[in-house]
Amino acid sequence: MEQWEGWPKIKFESDLDLKFPEQIASIPGGDKIFTCIQCGTCSGICPLSPCMDYTPRQLIAMIRAGSKADVLSSRTTWLCASCYRCTVECPKGIKLTDIMYACKRMAITEGVYPKHFPIPVLTNEFFNTVKVTGRSNESWLIVRLFLKTNPLQLFKHANLGLRLWLRGRMSPIPDSVKRKGELRNIFKVFDVEKEYVKTKRKRKFKPAPKGCDCGSGYL
Amino acid sequence: MSQVETGSNGTPKVGVYVCHCGINISQKVEISETVEFAKKLPYVTVVREYKFMCSDPGQELIQQDIREGLVDRVVVASCSPLMHEHTFRGAMAAGGGNPFLFQMANIREHVSWVTVDKKAATKKAKALIAAAVERIALHQPLERVQVPVHPDVLVVGGGIAGIHAALTLADSGKKVYLVEREPTIGGHMAKLDKTFPTLDCSACILTPKMSAVGAHPNITLWTYSEVTKVDGYVGNFKVTVKRKPRYVDEEKCVGCLECIEACIFKEGKFRSEFDEGLSKRKPVYIPFPQATPLVAVIDPETCIEFKTGKCKKSCAEVCAPEAIDFEQTEKIKEIEVGAIVLATGFKTFDAARVSRYGYGKYPNVYTSLEVERLVNAAGPTGGEVLLDNGKKPKTVGIVHCVGSRDENTNPYCSRVCCMYSLKLAHLLQERTGAEIYDFYIDMRTPGKGYEEFYERVSQEKVHFIRGRVGEITDWAMEPEEVGKLVMRAEDTLMGAVRRVPVDMVVLAVGLEPQDDAEEVRRIFNIGCSHDGWFLERHPKLAPVSTFTDGVFLAGACQGPKDIPDSVAQAGAAASEAMAIIDRGYVELEPNTAFIIEDLCSGCKTCVAICPFSATSFDEEKKVVVVNGALCKGCGTCVAACPSGALQQNLFTDEQIFHEIKGVVSYV
Repeated sequence: MEQWEGWPKIKFESDLDLKFPEQIASIPGGDKIFTCIQCGTCSGICPLSPCMDYTPRQLIAMIRAGSKADVLSSRTTWLCASCYRCTVECPKGIKLTDIMYACKRMAITEGVYPKHFPIPVLTNEFFNTVKVTGRSNESWLIVRLFLKTNPLQLFKHANLGLRLWLRGRMSPIPDSVKRKGELRNIFKVFDVEKEYVKTKRKRKFKPAPKGCDCGSGYL
Repeated sequence: MSQVETGSNGTPKVGVYVCHCGINISQKVEISETVEFAKKLPYVTVVREYKFMCSDPGQELIQQDIREGLVDRVVVASCSPLMHEHTFRGAMAAGGGNPFLFQMANIREHVSWVTVDKKAATKKAKALIAAAVERIALHQPLERVQVPVHPDVLVVGGGIAGIHAALTLADSGKKVYLVEREPTIGGHMAKLDKTFPTLDCSACILTPKMSAVGAHPNITLWTYSEVTKVDGYVGNFKVTVKRKPRYVDEEKCVGCLECIEACIFKEGKFRSEFDEGLSKRKPVYIPFPQATPLVAVIDPETCIEFKTGKCKKSCAEVCAPEAIDFEQTEKIKEIEVGAIVLATGFKTFDAARVSRYGYGKYPNVYTSLEVERLVNAAGPTGGEVLLDNGKKPKTVGIVHCVGSRDENTNPYCSRVCCMYSLKLAHLLQERTGAEIYDFYIDMRTPGKGYEEFYERVSQEKVHFIRGRVGEITDWAMEPEEVGKLVMRAEDTLMGAVRRVPVDMVVLAVGLEPQDDAEEVRRIFNIGCSHDGWFLERHPKLAPVSTFTDGVFLAGACQGPKDIPDSVAQAGAAASEAMAIIDRGYVELEPNTAFIIEDLCSGCKTCVAICPFSATSFDEEKKVVVVNGALCKGCGTCVAACPSGALQQNLFTDEQIFHEIKGVVSYV
């Protein structure tokens, strides 16, 4: 017999964080979320909305209600491809893509992002590569991304990588800036480490819809 | 500064009346302290306080004191002059005083409502009362000037609002000039098929009114004409109307259509404005069979005779009454009217501006006004709704809020689209038997019988989907979508993204101000809201008046409106115009500018800047003359005059300096 887990369909006030909408609204133009008329244009025009667990419109409603836990652990923000169609077409001028980024930043800061999901991993690895070498290096980025998400992909794409390397489009040797010490100092001054809290809390993520090839299958 | 000029019976006797306004003022301002303070001010003979000065007993206090000779000038410390200046001036006159020996000190909006601290509020109230007392001693008795009113009325725009206003005025015996830009009156309503929610035929209820206009002895109907200039003021407007040449004599033409038959173009070749481009017309045409006046018009842009001069003019040959006149020229008419009703209407939103709906790209995407013509039995297809392949649509999608409720286009709700979409859903289902998918954001059906109509259409099994359509595409994902238009939208009530393949799309376009609304606004010297709609004087209490006296608004030029509201507003505008005309005179406020001729240097600065053309230059005397009837008392010339020769009644330099002195010297 399944264990009784409370009332899953009821959101009690204690489940909600009423500061959360204010936090999201504090980004430039963020207070426009309060003018949302829930028309669904964003979801209607989003190329990825069928893959999302909550549509962008639902995400705005959840943010306004203060459903922080559900928003930050949602797959929606990570699937956003930043095509900005929702931002362009929103009848109320809500900058949805910016809202998505705000949620992503908060999820990373609070360490609640999906651990093996390629998008946050890619973000993190890109940042780390740039931090160490001062340059972006595609081959290293891809190798580390696949190792941390799905190592089998490494074999799948090996052929493509080899061809790119032979044609000089990708180099296995990492390129770097000359005075790396100065770069480290810059990062020290801005104290960027704080942004990336290392601790990762374990959270349940909803499984991806069947047959979906959006990358969320790695969860 | 000059000495205080005394009234007719020696020293001024000022009465100060402090109002409690219930507790609106008294909860912040110490009334008793203020009263004691006012007693010590110069010339003050009587100080009284009362719970509501604007009430009848309150006004009676003032009248009693004037009758008993205790006061001849009155200061009321209460609310804003916008609220009750008129009331108290009336009380002064009723008591036998001059209404302009009166001043209000606004201690409610300027003091008690906006001040937190009681002491500060009392101090400010005292300063404002002192200022009013200081200034009132210098007030002169003034008289309102009466000017007779011209009894004719001009109605601009021949849509349903203009038609109704013109008929109402004409039925009351006024002579009405109805000016319409198009070759016929009727406006948008003439293009519609049925009207919601009762589904009565639009043309059947409109055309009797149109012919009534054409036949009414009191109405002078000028179609194909535009107002180019308006001079003068309420009661005495001088209007210039340009009558464009239609190259057909209106007096002679009988509307027999012979010329259209005889035109060398065997088939219509040019875009029919009346059919929204869905049919073609010839260079000589009558927009629709019930056009009023039923007179042909020749379009010089497309007529061969005007383009090359080499046409054999078969139209003129067959015209029995010899009405066709290629030599006709533009005529300028000048008329005098006492009041003006503006009913210039709206235009529909250009759907091509929302590119993601594919209007102009996919052939089966129509605007709602085009579909009105398609379903109309008198329309280009005789009421058959057919796709570009000649078949009837099996599924139709309707998109609400195209160009409405959108900050990228128009932020306002166009008010009529929900209802006409429901009507079109009903009509399309009735005529074609198609499945109708109706995509809405919020279904707005406030009105008599409107919600019931929504219920009726819901019962007819129209599929309502709450969600704004994201995009319309011909890109098929599934086999059943091939060859169809796919509407992609989120069903927000279901929480899922849907793709609905349809044969035909109807875009429910919103209402917008006419393209030349700004120009019209300038000609009639009225205001526009930021959306471009003409601005009413007060959104609730003066919805048909404008800031220019004698100019009234009717119909959708003031904001999106359906037919019942337009007609109601047209009736209201007509009766307000009648009120001015039946009174026979207008009273002009005496707060006008006047010139001190000895000081005027004749620099003409004021002549250039007066927005009402009230100042002019007297070449003989070499000084400026102010026309008191035109002056609205805006004070622009007074501020601009470099030599101080222009002064304004109730706002002379002395009065203003004394007011400032009052504010700063006593408290």
